[in-house]
Amino acid sequence: MTVELLLQTIVNATYAASYMALIAVGLVLIFGVMGVINFAHGELYMAGAYVIVALYAGSGVPFFLAVFAGLIFVGLLGLLMEYGLFRPLRENPLGGLIASIGFLLILQTVAVLGFGIRMRHVPPATQDTIVFMDGVVLTYQRLYVIVATVILLTALWLFLRKSKFGWALRACAQDREAAALQGISINQTARLAMFIGAALAGVAGALTAPLVAPTPFMGHAVIITAFIIIIVGGIGSLGGAVLAAILYAFVYTFVTTIYDGTLANIVGLLLMLIVLIVKPTGLFGAKERA
Amino acid sequence: MTTKFALSLVNRRDFLLTTAAATVMAGVSMPKITFAADKVVKIGFLAPLTGEVAAWGKPGLDGCSIWADWVNADGGIKIGDDAYKVEFVAYDDEYDPGKARTGAVKLIKEDGVKFVMMLGGDPWPGVSPVSDKEKMLFSTLLPSDLTPETKLLVAPCEVHPIYNVTGVEWLAENKPDLKTAVIVAQDDSLGKPSVATYLAAFEAAGIKVLGDPIFFDPATTDFAPIMSKMLALKPDIICLDTCYADYVHPLTEQAFQQGFKGQMISCTADFYPKMVEKTSKEFMEGFIFQFPDFDDPALNAEHVNFRKPNDFFQEYVKRFGEGEWSAVSWEYASIMDLWSDAAGRAGTTDPEKVLEAMQVGGTGKQAFGEAKWWGKELFGIDNALVGLWPVVVIEDGKARIKEFKSIPAWWDKHKALMIKHMEALNQMYYQRS
Amino acid sequence: MPERAASPKLYWAIGAVPLAAGLIVLPHLLSFSQQEILVLLTINVLLVCSYRLLTLTGEWSLAHAVIMGIGAYSSALAAKQLGLPVPLSMLVGAGAAGFIAFLLSFPLLRMKGFYFLIGSFAAGEIIRLIWKWSELTWLFGGPKGIKLIPPFPDIEVFSIDFYDPANYYYLCLIVVTISLVILYRIEHSRIGLTFHAIHWQDKLAQSVGVNTFRYRMLAFVVSAFFAGLAGALYAHYVGTVNPNRFGVEEMVYILIWAIVGGTATFYGPILGVVVLTVLNEVVLRALNIDQMRPMLYGAILIVSILFLPQGLESVVPKIKGWLAQRRQKRAIAKPPSEAEQPAK
Repeated sequence: MTVELLLQTIVNATYAASYMALIAVGLVLIFGVMGVINFAHGELYMAGAYVIVALYAGSGVPFFLAVFAGLIFVGLLGLLMEYGLFRPLRENPLGGLIASIGFLLILQTVAVLGFGIRMRHVPPATQDTIVFMDGVVLTYQRLYVIVATVILLTALWLFLRKSKFGWALRACAQDREAAALQGISINQTARLAMFIGAALAGVAGALTAPLVAPTPFMGHAVIITAFIIIIVGGIGSLGGAVLAAILYAFVYTFVTTIYDGTLANIVGLLLMLIVLIVKPTGLFGAKERA
Repeated sequence: MTTKFALSLVNRRDFLLTTAAATVMAGVSMPKITFAADKVVKIGFLAPLTGEVAAWGKPGLDGCSIWADWVNADGGIKIGDDAYKVEFVAYDDEYDPGKARTGAVKLIKEDGVKFVMMLGGDPWPGVSPVSDKEKMLFSTLLPSDLTPETKLLVAPCEVHPIYNVTGVEWLAENKPDLKTAVIVAQDDSLGKPSVATYLAAFEAAGIKVLGDPIFFDPATTDFAPIMSKMLALKPDIICLDTCYADYVHPLTEQAFQQGFKGQMISCTADFYPKMVEKTSKEFMEGFIFQFPDFDDPALNAEHVNFRKPNDFFQEYVKRFGEGEWSAVSWEYASIMDLWSDAAGRAGTTDPEKVLEAMQVGGTGKQAFGEAKWWGKELFGIDNALVGLWPVVVIEDGKARIKEFKSIPAWWDKHKALMIKHMEALNQMYYQRS
Repeated sequence: MPERAASPKLYWAIGAVPLAAGLIVLPHLLSFSQQEILVLLTINVLLVCSYRLLTLTGEWSLAHAVIMGIGAYSSALAAKQLGLPVPLSMLVGAGAAGFIAFLLSFPLLRMKGFYFLIGSFAAGEIIRLIWKWSELTWLFGGPKGIKLIPPFPDIEVFSIDFYDPANYYYLCLIVVTISLVILYRIEHSRIGLTFHAIHWQDKLAQSVGVNTFRYRMLAFVVSAFFAGLAGALYAHYVGTVNPNRFGVEEMVYILIWAIVGGTATFYGPILGVVVLTVLNEVVLRALNIDQMRPMLYGAILIVSILFLPQGLESVVPKIKGWLAQRRQKRAIAKPPSEAEQPAK
């Protein structure tokens, strides 16, 4: 491996880690607070990408405004799921899982009916690139994803540590009943968690839309990766999810570059299986939840 | 009341037929509409219409609707003494062999179709026993479904991936200074035989393939690492094999962003204007692939059998929108041309007789020209129709046919190479379990 | 459900005769394509019932579709490569599925709940990747899988041709009925009661000396055996297997059937798979709205889970109660005129 290829691979892995972290953190947040596996999380990511298709590619809305719209729209979808599905099914986590599968099918079909079954195209917001070492390339489009991830996750961290809502959110994630006894509104906390969790997936979809060519079924590959990450990181651990996203992205990218993609998939799954067997609470422990 | 009504219909039909016959006898040229009758021939369309593979089925059904409208407006197709209107009956097989079997039974036994068009691939082996027992003729777009046992399955339009040799041959003739290539493909039933074909074509053209072909998983979303790996080999040519559009686009974009300056060649480049938009005209200049836009003037050449290709393209774009045109848009329709021609000559819609008429003399009218029924050595059965295939190159942001090249001519010279590479990747019919 | 004196057994006896008659006549009331659907549905009944046995111990697996695939692949290979007679190879397939489950239980059953769910998913995906793996194409056929699997041999003496869906349906009906009886017996034996105990009182069961690991393994292996049998029935009917056929989507269907039907009773999952298959394959297809089909299916899922959280099975006692109430009312009130009575 040449130095150039090594550096390029690190750049590639950093980008991959970023969007994976956004998606996985949202999934962990929802699981932590709601106790529900949101199977439709990949479709929320897809919905974010289609907001870009409709607004930015379709109607010429400026890119970042469209990304913001994607954040709000998918966040609202999250609220809808909380209100319509997860709240009535709060005592029934498997029911929540099935309901999210139903919701996933609906979102996919809406995308098919509204935008066609084929992939849509989103022109890049910018074609500019940063070239260093005479051959190692980072496009601005990818840089946006990396920077946005850092900003959003930092903001989320501050929010959880410093604000009253964040405190309530963490309390709920640890013990819902105890939190309720403390006078924390479960409904409000659940709404908040769903909005943030969904919005993060939406932002990831919106920001990567120009890089991946959205299709109604793009959520499928993403959700499996996200599951692997949250297992490796430890379910319910936000910090763990971020670290696991980085670990997974680097392992996956390097194995793909040195060997091939199929092996990278096997390695990813084995990594998860080993973690499950050796330390089921995840590499980064579940002591510190949410 | 019902009986009366039916009777009057019969009378009317008799009346029309007699008049029609009389006019023909009299040698007066009447518009074909006179034949237009209440006779209908139903054709089955058994392909994925929902789910991820639907992109390979739905556009074909759309193309067929144009085909049917045109043919029916023209008075239908003449089989024997009758004119038949054509009606398509679709069944969504969801790309599942069990559901495809159910669909095949429904189409044949309940709808009474006389011919079934399929995408092929995974669902075909589920349908295969139905085809045998019910003696029904099927068509596929994926000739890797062909085996010595599939007597009633034809691949009459696209004989993937054998036509890919034409692009490589053209490349070697026109850009002889390009000497090295890397190949990338998704690891599935479409990618594998295509890789073998490109390996053979490159070897025949004296182009060296650097490293092993790079296979990626169909669930891949980020193509940057793959492209980095390819570019590290510093090839003159990047070959995208038969990647689906969902992969061709991001791979091409990555090649552009990571600063590739050389030649690109691919089986398909569906929606290429979007690739031009995402990269640049300069970058896409000279991109070689195999599927023309049907507004190409070269398709009006004498040898092309597809009827009114330019009008078909216009109508398709009008009905389904700019940028919806893809490789499969025209393929099922072209199979219908072949079928209706054969049915007309056979004078019946009986599937086995139609197949016989289709294959009479060992040649047939493939979309791009006269072609021969072939495949014994590669598939174990001569049920694939090969002849000329276009080499398409992007020039100034527009795909243009540069040349029609003969697949049989290449095969006669280099078949040993092809079989060698197919065997190495376990793709020969006797290796496919 | 608690047994009530002798009456349930009587119910069963009285109910079994018309049920059996109905199941035997059924294919002749259906169209050709509906017969095909019926065959696949019968196989899926076994699949989902075998799944329920595992859920008795409280574990929800995401590997069940892959385990069905192991049965299908093994049976196909045994018949095609080793030349075993198909009925025997079906048993080999089922046995192979059970054996793989036995091996998998060592890593997987160390986990519980959500971890088991995801761990089983990972194990299943790895098996699927092995099927696809290019180094093993000579055996498993890569992504295209195996085709031209020998069909179930015709019984020439009676000229029974198993290409005919009605005949294959009868074969499946026999195999599935026997399997269901075995599954039912297991559930109502001491072993089954232990499964329940492990589900609800894990620690307690352990403390009174129950080897919970062994029992969970037993449930996993038995459920895999019958899933493998379902896979084998599928393979020799459709004639082809491939890795995608046993992917996540198929698994999701199994989950949906079980949960929408309800898993508290033996008949719950059967209700689920029958009702949903009829809705999806017959009703929604008849509406001729192919592109919209997944959306309506999704809506049905949500509605059923919201309004029938205990599954379709919870409707049955309600109907029973309602009928009983009516009967009571009628007994108390003066008998109304015949015309006022409902048809049933």
